[in-house]
Amino acid sequence: MSNVASKAYGLTILSPIREKIAQGVSGSVLTRSVIEDLKLHQHSPFAKVANTYLARLYVLNDVMFQGYPEQEDHLKSKYLVFASNFYGDLDEYLTGLWHGAQADVKQIWAHCYDFESVTDEASFLIYMKKCQLETTFFFNGSVGLGEDDISLNEQLKALYLKQEFAKFVWNNQSLSPNELKAAFIEFSHITQPNQPEPSWAPGHSDIAQG
Amino acid sequence: MSNIAGKTFAMNVITPIKGVNFYINKVIFWFANTKLASSRLGGLATLSLIHYARWVLIGKDQFPHLHPDQPKEDLHYNYMLFHSNFNGSWDQYVDSFHKAIPKGLDLLWRKNVKYPGSVPLQPFHAYINFNQIWTSHYYSAYPSAAVNDVKSAKKVKTALVALTDKVETLSDQAFKEAYDEMLIDLQHDVSVMEDTPVVSLASQAVKDRRAKYQETISMNSDKVIPIQRTANK
Repeated sequence: MSNVASKAYGLTILSPIREKIAQGVSGSVLTRSVIEDLKLHQHSPFAKVANTYLARLYVLNDVMFQGYPEQEDHLKSKYLVFASNFYGDLDEYLTGLWHGAQADVKQIWAHCYDFESVTDEASFLIYMKKCQLETTFFFNGSVGLGEDDISLNEQLKALYLKQEFAKFVWNNQSLSPNELKAAFIEFSHITQPNQPEPSWAPGHSDIAQG
Repeated sequence: MSNIAGKTFAMNVITPIKGVNFYINKVIFWFANTKLASSRLGGLATLSLIHYARWVLIGKDQFPHLHPDQPKEDLHYNYMLFHSNFNGSWDQYVDSFHKAIPKGLDLLWRKNVKYPGSVPLQPFHAYINFNQIWTSHYYSAYPSAAVNDVKSAKKVKTALVALTDKVETLSDQAFKEAYDEMLIDLQHDVSVMEDTPVVSLASQAVKDRRAKYQETISMNSDKVIPIQRTANK
């Protein structure tokens, strides 16, 4: 199945937007306004959805006219595009999206056709699968040869250790063997390489934008 | 509105495909998934820029139609939607694609309307730029990490877990030797990550980063002690 490469799932959702909300009010403009105002990094709604590696939202206004002598095409609806790359199973992911970011989901999809049919987890999954497009070709550059993707929690732990260990190496140069061993033991007690915590939070950024 | 989340850039491109070529391209993409395609597409992996990239062929009747009030699409062409997540600037990325897999690109964008070919570069740049759509919200679970950071972190973790597991059983000298051996193996993998955005927008971020780390990490080269690999026993 092309939606999957290694253990990563590539999800593409196109949700048609109801354009005429009220006199002078455009559904696509409202939708774009909502998604542009979403908070970033660790404050993004997707930081609350387990195993989301990378996700994006945008409004597909129209297709591009390539110029004469080609024919001019126009979409009759604008579409909210949601594309996500995540670890694991689709149903589990969509369930996590519903429960982890429900308020944001309702706001983001508020002006999409048929979203009024979404009342619970089950109807949300049905709706999203109606909007899903099958990936034709999926390239996964995040894994080395012969490797598989790991869960986001494992990935964040690995990145946390890489970061902290780089600082440790720099700060503990030219120590005697017993000093180095003692420092490494202390480092291991603090960073707990064998344990899931401490770790980076999803979306963690030192230049956080709220 | 941003195409950037830390070190990662989002690209969205939608292009039309004429007539029967849509179905021929489906077969080509099936072929791209096989090992036989590695000669044309193997360069993708060597780029080390791309987290994930996807191509989605959308038939003219396949745009989701969910409600009787929604007008049905009436299109002349079928379409291909391309989503990429990559590191570096837009120019670096497009140039790298063009350099590493020119034949692969021509395969992936085969018979898309007005596709100029991947060589020469400037028409290809213009084509991608013209058909690109800006992202409104972009999220990365690890904005500080590039693709190579993601890969190297796994290696660092594995090595640290192994050394942690045996540290208490080693004498001080044996530990030092094991530690030095590990560092030599990880010399390409140990680095401090930052959220520096793409090169073309990075000047202020680089300045902020240097100011932030000035107090904690000295950049004087005379503080770096080379590690001597011990003789095999």
